[in-house]
This record gives sequence, structure tokens and C-alpha cells, in this order.
Amino acid sequence: MSATVATSARQPFWGGLWLIVTLELRQRVRGVAWYVLLGVFFVIVGFVTVLLWFATNALESGGGGMFSTIIFFVLLLGSLVSPALSGNAINGDRDSGVLATTQVTLITTWQLVLGKFVAAWLTALAFLAAALPFLLFAVVLGEVSFATVAVSTLVLALELGVIAAIGVGLSGIQTRPLFSIVTTYLVIAALSVGTLIVFGLAGLATQSATTTTSSDFDWNNPPDDEANGRWTCTDPVVYESTVPRFDYYWGVLAANPYVVVADAAPGSFDELGNPTDLFGWIATGVRSAQNAPELDTVYDACADGGSPQDVNGGNGDYPTAEEMYNDAVPSWFVGLSIHLLLGAGALFWAYTRTNTPARRLPTGSRVA
Amino acid sequence: MRIVTPTGGTAGISVSGVSRNFGAVHAVRSASLEVRPGSVTGLIGPNGAGKTTLMLMLATLLAPDAGSIRIAGYDPLSDAAAVRARMGWMPDVLGAWPTLSVRQAIETTGRLYRMPRQQAALRTAELLAITGLAPLAEQPTRVLSRGQKQKLSLARALVHDPQVLLLDEPASGLDPAARADLRALVRRLAGEGKAILVSSHVLSELDEMADSAVYLAAGVTASAEQIARAQNSLRQWRVRALDPARLAAAIGTVGLGADRVSVDNVGTLIAFADEAEAAEALGRLVAAGAQISGFGPAVGEMEHTFLDLNRAGTSGEEGRA
Repeated sequence: MSATVATSARQPFWGGLWLIVTLELRQRVRGVAWYVLLGVFFVIVGFVTVLLWFATNALESGGGGMFSTIIFFVLLLGSLVSPALSGNAINGDRDSGVLATTQVTLITTWQLVLGKFVAAWLTALAFLAAALPFLLFAVVLGEVSFATVAVSTLVLALELGVIAAIGVGLSGIQTRPLFSIVTTYLVIAALSVGTLIVFGLAGLATQSATTTTSSDFDWNNPPDDEANGRWTCTDPVVYESTVPRFDYYWGVLAANPYVVVADAAPGSFDELGNPTDLFGWIATGVRSAQNAPELDTVYDACADGGSPQDVNGGNGDYPTAEEMYNDAVPSWFVGLSIHLLLGAGALFWAYTRTNTPARRLPTGSRVA
Repeated sequence: MRIVTPTGGTAGISVSGVSRNFGAVHAVRSASLEVRPGSVTGLIGPNGAGKTTLMLMLATLLAPDAGSIRIAGYDPLSDAAAVRARMGWMPDVLGAWPTLSVRQAIETTGRLYRMPRQQAALRTAELLAITGLAPLAEQPTRVLSRGQKQKLSLARALVHDPQVLLLDEPASGLDPAARADLRALVRRLAGEGKAILVSSHVLSELDEMADSAVYLAAGVTASAEQIARAQNSLRQWRVRALDPARLAAAIGTVGLGADRVSVDNVGTLIAFADEAEAAEALGRLVAAGAQISGFGPAVGEMEHTFLDLNRAGTSGEEGRA
């Protein structure tokens, strides 16, 4: 064979992929504006950290609240910035005429798509890296377990990867960069905010009838001497009303990235059974939604004894946040799996749309 | 040295019966052509004739609906990587990574073709010299002019020293000196045994560098007989004389029909069937006292064929086989 470039000598897949990653980072990211953005982010996180220090009384109560809030803050900033940086990775290249010239080289479509994805992910991870000093500071303040640090950081990194994958994927699926960026934002918003709205509205829309049967002491007839202090009770009164059924829809919340991060972190509770960080509060809230409301409540004042002094008000029956947390089903791996599938699906779709020689072209688009 | 290819076919470009639709639009209906190694073929056709679509199919970017394509003996559909390793494509759309320097852009392209870093750097230096971009090597590509981007695009297409070259409008945006350089470069590359397909609107340009031409109109390549017929049709020659009045008188005396003659602002045009008739008429005009200062074909060979085929294509479709 007289070819000057040996195609049989397989370049390792990763070599080509890394070439695309570096090319992408050089194109999109490198530049003064990027460092300014990162600097602004650093200052904002620093400011938030100082506020949290005072707000959570971190010196005494530990850095749990501070750590979890900064993690959420990185996720928020990541989902605000990442779509803009990744949402035009492929169609932007097509618009500026460099996609086709890359595709006629020996770079495969997977190398191209995955290279752009990795570059977008690394860009988002830079925000996590910029927040690292403050996360370390929170850990130094104490009360943050190693497991919490490891799990929440890892899950946050995965969630940032999912956002990058959706952005790059949509940029390969849609023709116009502006639309794919907007769609990426909408998908992220649907997961972050839309799940909350669906959960709230669907829960309220689905009401169940409840009956409360109660018989209280007959206050008009206090016990006389013959009764030996025993009160008589009135005939049972039945109230009917409705309650929202959030327990049907708690699964919707599992798809929320903030819930995934919060629910994945191992719960940490104080001696009263209250969460010590934001993760715990959110996870407890979400998990408590799993419990169905009691539809038939029966209250009989005379059951506990015979006098108002015997009634303890039922306060001891309420479970603590910790008990609620431990009794419920964790949902984060379901949510994370959905997100990973979503990201992988977007990338796969982008691959089939970008692969050459192209058979079907989206209407109104040019190959080159 | 004989070039052996796995399919035993030609080492150049071989296209037969290729078609491609975009929805209801038949961009290419039936294209067939052959480019042998060591030759330059022009791809000529009006706007929207399907030239770029055909180029994209040859460049492994677009799959044909029907027909077969062989580039350097390989099928772009089933073995795109083998084709890409042997084919250089210069697109009609000028795109370059804007933040990279000219040198980095060429070097990166080499690396995308799996060249080792050092080899890519060496080849880049070579190409910078060949294309005359060396003084701009460290400039970012976004500051390049159209013509300079054109050169960069050519350098990128050549980076892996391909056997087959597809050049889509390579001369547009180039100044006359750069065009002459391009012409010389293309001829030299053909001399090295590469098969080159050039699409262009500048037909006089192609006349000077292409060995043969393929005419594409409404997605169909013209057949050999259509081309022969077009080449044999009347062709206009431009005649200039010191005194237009004496020329007009001379034309009248030598018995050239009025339907053969037209006058425009630049001078007189006379239609002849072939060169022999033109030479004979020139002799008679000179003898009749017209002081002729210029006499030659008004349009080049390719342009004449192109325009004639184009006329036939718009006046009726019976010529299409």
C-alpha cells in the first residue's frame, strides 16, 4: 500500500479524544473572559462562605451547613454557566465551518462527540475546583464526615457531567446554537424547578377524603363523686375533609439534581435527631413525603385514662427527623440513574445525528 | 511504480450513477465521472447544479442514495477511514478555529490525521512555505483575509499528502498572483501522481490547469456526445480593427451572414463553427482591407461548452439521457 498515513496503525482511541478535548478547551474556554468569570465565581463563593459562617454559627455548630450550602452553590452556578458553554459545542462548530473539516480527518464521530463532552465537563469541574478552598475551610471547621465529603463531591461532579452531556448532546441534535442552548437551560430548569412544581401541584390536585372520628370529654358534665374522677365522653363526632397526597408523587422529586446530591450524602443528625446540614434537611423533607397521610383518624379522649390529666397529647408519637430519614426509602440512585441515562441518551442521539457519511439530514441544515 | 489498490479499481476517483435527494429536492440525479491519478479534472456547472453535494459525497460526509463511489479504490460508505487517510478536501465554506494561529491550525489538522507531533510540525513548516503563509504563521486565523483563509484551507487539505484531492472553488478570493501560484501547485501535485478534482466558476482558470472537465447541470453529468455536440456548435470570436467602420465594410464584402455578426461596446463578435472556418475568414478579412489588431475566441473552450450545455439544459430536457 502506498498510503503515506497508515490507517492500519490504530491510534489509541483516547489519544484522538484527548486531542479534541484540548482543541475544544483552547477554542471555547481559554481566554481572559473565562478567568474573569472564574474569579467572579471565587469571590461570590467567598462572600457566601463568610455569610454562612455567621448565619450557621459555624464555629460552634461545625461546618456541615456551610459545606452543604457551598456544594449546592456550585451546582447552581454550574447549571447556570455550563449550558452556555456546552450548548453550542457541535452546531456552533458546524456554523463556523470547522465541523466538516474535522470529520474528514481520521477522528471518529465518537471521539468528536465524547471529546467535546469531556471538555465541557472539565470546564464545569473548574467551578468545583475554584470552590475547593472554601469547601476545605468548611471541613476544617469540623462536624463534616469523610463520607459526606466524598459522596457529595462525587455526586456533584457526576451531576455537572450530566449537565455537560445534555448540553453537548442537544447541540448535536438541534441545528441552531441559540435553540440548543435555550433547550439545555429548559431541560436543566425542568429537572431543578419543574420537578418541584409538578410535585407540589400534582400533590395538591390529588386529594383524598379523610374522616376524623373524635370523642372528647363531656366538659358540661364533670365527674361527680360517684364516678371516682372518671370523665364521661361525648358521642363520637365524625369530621370529613380532604388531604393532598404528596406520597404518590415523591418519585418526581427523585429526579431533582439537588435532591439527588442531598439524598446521596449520608445523613448526619445531632443528639435530638435533627439534621446538621442542608443535605439532611432536604433529604428528610423528601423522604417524609413518602409517608401516606392517615385517612381514618380516631381520637377517643377517654381511651387514655379517664381524666384530662392522663392525656399526654400524643407528643411522644411523632418520629424525629432521623427516624423518618432512616425508615424511608433512599431515592438518590434512582434519580442519578435517570440523569445518567438522560445524559448518555443525549450523547448517543448526537452521535447518530453527527455521524458521517450522513444519510438523513435535519431539514434546513448543511453538512458543511 | 504501479499503484495497487484492494479492489483492483482505479487509484483516483471513480463515480458511477450517483444520486442524492434532500427530501423532495433532487440535488444530484445521476453523476458519473472518472479522475485518473496524475490528472486534473474540472467540475463545472451552474449554481445549484449539485457540485458541492457531489463533492460532499466524495469527501465521505454525505451518503449517496444510489450509485457507487470509489476514492483511491475504497468505498466512502463502507470504509470511510481508508478514504479519509488518502483524500484531501478543501471545502467551499471557509472555516478555521479562530483562536488558533495559522501554524497551530495546520499542525492540529495533521495531528487529527494521526501524525506524530514532530512529523506534523515538519509538514506544517513545509506547507507554510508552499502556500506562502509563512509570514502569517503566528497570526490567529481569525485575522486572515478571505484569500489567506483559502490558502490555509488548501494547506489543511494537503497536510497528510493525500493521493486524491477534492478542491471546491479553490481560486475564489485569490489575487491574480496567488491564482497563478495555485495553478502551478495543482499542476505540480498532478505531476506527482495525485488525482485532482477541481470545481470552479472561473472557467478560464480551469482551462489552464485541467486536463478534462465534467459538466454537471441539474444534478446530471453531461454525456460525452452532449459535450461533443456543444463543442461543435457555433462559437464566437472577438475581432478588433483599427477602424471599426472599415471592418464592418470588410465583413460585408467577404459574405459573412448578418446573423453571424454582432457588435457590442468592446468590438465585433463573429460566430464560427470551428477554428478552420475562423482562420479562413481572417485571411479574407485581412485581404479585404480590414486592419485587424485582435482576433481570438471570445470565451475559452470550457466556458463555451458550459454555456452551450447550459442553454440546452434550460431550453429543454431532451438532451438528458
